[in-house]
Amino acid sequence: MVIVTTKKAHNFFLRRHLTTGHPNLEPLLCTSNRKIRSKKPLAVHLSYIRFNQPRASEKPLSTCIRASDQSEERGVMVDPANTPLGKMLLEEITPVVMVLCTPLVEESCLKNGLSFVQMLSPFCDFTNIDVPVQTASDQPYRLHKFKFRLFYASDIRQPNLEVAKERLKQVITKVGEDDFPEISSDLPQVNDLLSRHESEILPPWFQFFNKELVRTLSFSDHEAFDHPVACLLVVSSRDEEPINRFIDLFNTNKLPSLLNDGAMDPKILKHYLLVHDNQDGASAKATKLLTEMRSTFRPNDCQLLCINSSQDGQTRHKDTPWATFRSDALATEHLGHFLKLDDLNEIKNLMQELSSKHIIPYMEQKIRLLNQQVSSTRKGFRNQFKNLWWRKGKEDALDTTNGPVYTFSSIESQIRVLGDYAFMLRDYELAVSSYRLISTDYKLDKAWKRYAGVQEMIGLTYFMLDQSRKEAEYCMENAFNTYLKLGSAVQQNATRCGLWWIEMQKTRNQIKEAATVYFRICGSFTFGCDARASFFCYLLSKPPMLHKYGFHLVLSGDHYKKCDQIKHAIRTYRNAVSVYRGTTWNLIKDCVHFHIGQWYASLGMYDVAVTHMLEILASSHQSKTSQELFLRDFLHIVQKTGKMFEVLKLQLPVINISSLKAIFEDHRTYASPAAASIKEGVWRSLEEDMIPSLSAKSNWLDVQSKLIPRKYKESNICVAGEAIIVGIEFKNPLQIPISILKANSSNVKPQNDEYKTSTSTGFLYIILVLCTTSNGVCITTAGILIHLWFYRRLTFHWKGGETILVQLTVTPRVEGILTIVGVKWKLSSSVVGLHNFESNSVNKRIAKGRRKAKHSPSADLKFIVIKVHVSPTNLLFAVFINIFLLCNCILLVLFTMNNLKMKISNPRFLNAGNQSYLNVEFPACLEKKLNVEQSGGHANAKKMLQNVFHFPEDISVQEETSLSWPLWFHAAVPGHISLYITVYYEMENVSSIMKFHTLRMHYNLQVLPSLDVSFELSPCPSRLEEFLFRMDVVNKTSSECFQIHQLSSVGQRWDVSLLQPVDSILPSQSLFAGQALSCFFMLKVGTTIEELAPWIIHLYHRKSSTSEDSNPLFLQSDVRLGPPGNSEALFDVCSSPLADFHDYERLYQGMSCQGNVDFVFITQLRRGNIDSGVPHRPLLFSHHVCHCSFSPISWFLDGPQTIQHNFSASPCGVNLKMTINNSSDAASSVHIKTFDPPSSNSQSIDATASQSGLPLENQAGWFSIPAVNDTKVITTDALAKRITKSVSLESAPQFIWTGSSSTKLKLQPRATAEIPLQICVFAPGIYDLSNYALCWNLAPIEESQGEANKSSGECRGYPYYLTVLQST
Amino acid sequence: MFLSEITAGAKIREEEMIVCVAVVGHQNNPLYIQSFTDADDALKLHHIVHCSLDVVDERVNNPKKSGPTLNETFLGLLYPTENYKVYGYLTNTKVKFILVTTDLDVRDGDVRNFFRRFHAAYVDAVSNPFHVPGKKITSRTFADRVSTIVQSFGLSSAV
Repeated sequence: MVIVTTKKAHNFFLRRHLTTGHPNLEPLLCTSNRKIRSKKPLAVHLSYIRFNQPRASEKPLSTCIRASDQSEERGVMVDPANTPLGKMLLEEITPVVMVLCTPLVEESCLKNGLSFVQMLSPFCDFTNIDVPVQTASDQPYRLHKFKFRLFYASDIRQPNLEVAKERLKQVITKVGEDDFPEISSDLPQVNDLLSRHESEILPPWFQFFNKELVRTLSFSDHEAFDHPVACLLVVSSRDEEPINRFIDLFNTNKLPSLLNDGAMDPKILKHYLLVHDNQDGASAKATKLLTEMRSTFRPNDCQLLCINSSQDGQTRHKDTPWATFRSDALATEHLGHFLKLDDLNEIKNLMQELSSKHIIPYMEQKIRLLNQQVSSTRKGFRNQFKNLWWRKGKEDALDTTNGPVYTFSSIESQIRVLGDYAFMLRDYELAVSSYRLISTDYKLDKAWKRYAGVQEMIGLTYFMLDQSRKEAEYCMENAFNTYLKLGSAVQQNATRCGLWWIEMQKTRNQIKEAATVYFRICGSFTFGCDARASFFCYLLSKPPMLHKYGFHLVLSGDHYKKCDQIKHAIRTYRNAVSVYRGTTWNLIKDCVHFHIGQWYASLGMYDVAVTHMLEILASSHQSKTSQELFLRDFLHIVQKTGKMFEVLKLQLPVINISSLKAIFEDHRTYASPAAASIKEGVWRSLEEDMIPSLSAKSNWLDVQSKLIPRKYKESNICVAGEAIIVGIEFKNPLQIPISILKANSSNVKPQNDEYKTSTSTGFLYIILVLCTTSNGVCITTAGILIHLWFYRRLTFHWKGGETILVQLTVTPRVEGILTIVGVKWKLSSSVVGLHNFESNSVNKRIAKGRRKAKHSPSADLKFIVIKVHVSPTNLLFAVFINIFLLCNCILLVLFTMNNLKMKISNPRFLNAGNQSYLNVEFPACLEKKLNVEQSGGHANAKKMLQNVFHFPEDISVQEETSLSWPLWFHAAVPGHISLYITVYYEMENVSSIMKFHTLRMHYNLQVLPSLDVSFELSPCPSRLEEFLFRMDVVNKTSSECFQIHQLSSVGQRWDVSLLQPVDSILPSQSLFAGQALSCFFMLKVGTTIEELAPWIIHLYHRKSSTSEDSNPLFLQSDVRLGPPGNSEALFDVCSSPLADFHDYERLYQGMSCQGNVDFVFITQLRRGNIDSGVPHRPLLFSHHVCHCSFSPISWFLDGPQTIQHNFSASPCGVNLKMTINNSSDAASSVHIKTFDPPSSNSQSIDATASQSGLPLENQAGWFSIPAVNDTKVITTDALAKRITKSVSLESAPQFIWTGSSSTKLKLQPRATAEIPLQICVFAPGIYDLSNYALCWNLAPIEESQGEANKSSGECRGYPYYLTVLQST
Repeated sequence: MFLSEITAGAKIREEEMIVCVAVVGHQNNPLYIQSFTDADDALKLHHIVHCSLDVVDERVNNPKKSGPTLNETFLGLLYPTENYKVYGYLTNTKVKFILVTTDLDVRDGDVRNFFRRFHAAYVDAVSNPFHVPGKKITSRTFADRVSTIVQSFGLSSAV
């Protein structure tokens, strides 16, 4: 049908085009052709054609062209009649027909569920009435669309403002309610909003609001288009004396005030209608009445309407025409069920006839009449002038706000009526000219309301003409401003005007301007719930102004809230959320969410409220008070819901997901949590040698690969019964403390379904899901059978901004697959936060040693739980350590295990001992046993150097027994010591998946300084291979008292002897706190045991019988420092623990290739009241000082002490003999240089000083020792210096070295050579013959090449005094 | 707290010319907002600054055709609200500076001068190697400097 119409129109156009040759129609045709396929544009063009075609031909050509130019300028050609505004105007500004009817008529109609007006209303709208109209101009045109409105006379009055407001409010509220269920769904997205059509973005109440607003303003006295054009008098055929009833009906008392108070002409077109109800019987009586009426009134004005033809009332109408008029009707109610199709047709015809034959002609006639009057009184120059002059005269008289009162007979009212009628009959040109004519009058009269009304109409008429847009807008603005000036009395008018203006702007795509108008409407009035719809304009504008959109949404939401329209407020705020989401405007975002949450809560929709409140919980940027407010309100709302909330990704507290660690054990067991926190690398390097090499092919997992499904291959392995520690950091982002709750431990309850404990009150707990199958690792088809939830509850009180590391342990009890799913925590007893780990990469500590390859993150938290018969965690390891030297043991309580190995990170401090020591009393076990070869202890020595201690093969620990093993501890240096110990063991009768275990232990010790021991060594000038040395000991402790025990030298056959009994130096034998001691000893090469001094008990003891041993020979010489009568045994520094420690000390104190000697100084600490568990056990302290170096070359000068010579004869030649010994293992070349005394006198002193390498100020405490034999022992350089000086002062030394000034010789290892030297003395005196130097150079020994850093040296000569006397 | 105060307009001390300055990143993310009022109107000022971004975008997308304004960073008066005037400035890196003032007759030169100094301060702040681009400016030195500039703005225009 549509297409047919189109074709018709098309043909029509073609004809027209051919006949008139109108150029402007060309594009139109093209468009209608092109668009013919799609329906919607088609309709647009159709109506355009329909509307315009009669006029296009009649308009002057120039107008058409101008209009077309304008539209091309704008780029859009829209027919004003088809815009929303145009449609609304055509609908609302239509003639009004007043209906007066008797109650019986109503009664008949009500049988159908309709009032009389309702029954007729659907038939008052004509789309194709096709009536020729001729108004003021000579040329007639045809009117196609026409509509009139029916109103009861009682309704024709201005509605009460308050009632109107109330009604508007109700409308808005109702729409809010209707719309609300939909908006509790997901939040809208900005992109969705942008793609939506305008009508969807508009507030849903907007259309209703518009209509209601127009209706509220109807029947005002200053606008004529609501004034009834005609009057329909209706009487029922049942009425008695119908003729009189007709007359009675048009009783002036009952007429609306408009007609009575003279605002409009009471003489209007009357039409008489007799309604006959067919149910009352045949229509004969009615026909009779009709003829009677026709005789009484004008025959054309009388008509008969027969209704209710259907007797049974079963008529059903498809799509009832009344639906829009009775929207409140129930669905079950069938409207018009007594009306047959004939009745409807009759009504239709009646109304058509009424409009085409009566109303339109009447209006035409009236227009012509009025036009004539107006032209005669107002048109033309003379009239205008007269009018102006007349109005000026009236100016002062009237000063009311509404201006003068205009009755219907006044020319102003008549012009207005003329304009309105012309508008309604769509003669817009006439309407505009009339309006313009009157607007100046009203302006001059200061009738502002009327003026505004007229301006408004001018704007609308221009709009309908689609002409001079600027003018139209100017008029609208003018009208709007005028209304505004008039204040609140006409605020609805202003609002309506504004809305029309906005519609006009929207039609022309001036959306931004529209928005400002909206804002002005809102800013000016608070009319009911006003139209704060400006926000959508910002959205519609191109490009969309989202920021303003958001802002205005918030504003309007706020306004809604003020007007108690909470649901609308929520709706706008929700839209605002979509604007602010994803931005960093947190302050605004939080505020929006907070208010939505509050409002939802006030509506009782707590669930939704909570979701919004959740958004603002972690707002760390907010002030403290806001945070408190947010949290309090949130908890309050949650409390009101009365149920538990489980929230995924709860923001409070914040989880630092990168901190997630799963610490688990497969091969390893940690003895203490502290050990678990040590870096894996430390352990790995320790275990390197112990763990059987797990090559890629042969590890136990691959062996099991047949059993383990592929998908679990990546999983980690843990042992049933062993805890997995999951560590994770929680942070309180707020400035306020979060405090909550009490902890509760819970058991693991296997159940056949997912299972939650609802009674839990804990604040934070972790949940892990464990899935198991019935038979161990074999997880193929059975799938997940059982879920187990593990809870671990902890309670925290967080300060603001604090971070807490939580460690949760999970202990799987059965075999299967264990997956750590996530963490769950509870905030304030009703909010449960849930965080799944899955998607996040996990920073994890893995156990697998080097075998670990890269894992996919999700596999990281997956474990295969295997069963070990007895859990290794049952092992009880303890190491008792005494702070200073010595031993203790490991205590093991475990199942059968064998092949034990142990490795200690720092053997300098801790050493494994021999089992035999367990049964021996300490420290007696270390004492020397004469001539007893101790082979067992030192058999380990070599292995110990490799740091792996193998327990003897035969050791295997049975279940429930303990194994003790001694360990020696030697605190070598003060400070903090970290000891790492790993024990490797294999288990018997354990599943082959896990062959071995390692136990990791970690101890931290602090060692306090005890004694400070230092040695000073200097060669003895008179003997070969003899040294004097001094030992300085300082007690550095604060309170301890040490008993000195012994000094042993370890080295090449050295023999230590005291120069002086200890009693004389230290009678008490004890060193008290802070006390210092210096002892002097002599060191010489021992020869045989028989030659030993009586205090030396043991000379040397050869330790290792293995010839290839690269260690220096263990030779020992001891000095007892105790009281002479004491028979206490000396300790054997060459046997197991001491010797081992000594080796390490040598290693750590560095190597020197020079001849050296090591000293071990042993003291004991005896404490009367010892608090430790081992009372009265003396502590042994051994201080190892290694590599006390001395020159490998030693020599002495031999010659006469005193000679007598007669100098008068000749200078005296003295023969001297120098014996040089090479004590090193390398051949050396020695070079003796001699100097002449005068030049080298002072130098030699310095050189002597520097030779000893000691700073001079260190010499306090040394004193001259009286010579015990013929050797003049001069030990101090200071002394030597003094003597040298005195000598040089007393005498003028005059001697020279004779012979070559330098002598070179080679010395074989451990060889002695004698060199003759000669001096020539010229005068008697005492001479110091120390002015020579020995340069020695060791030939490098091959094996010690690397460390041969000091293979040469120069020694100054020793003082040697020669007295030469003048012989007489 | 409630938004109703936005339209009501809080009382602002007369002598404070500038009520708010803001730095907004090129993705329209706030980098720095500082208000210089005693009233609790941070939310309102946030809204005002946020809204002005639309105008900035509009100015940027529809530049005036005339030549000298091609490289002009100063955007001029963005929009007047009931109580405020909002000025804008756009750097070459599309960072926006917004100035909200209560002074209703500000000289253009003053505002330009202000923005130039503000820009210098901003450049110094982001040149800090510890500043992460695109993150909020937390430098206290910057804040001090800005408040100095703001105060001197009041002084210079008062003279």
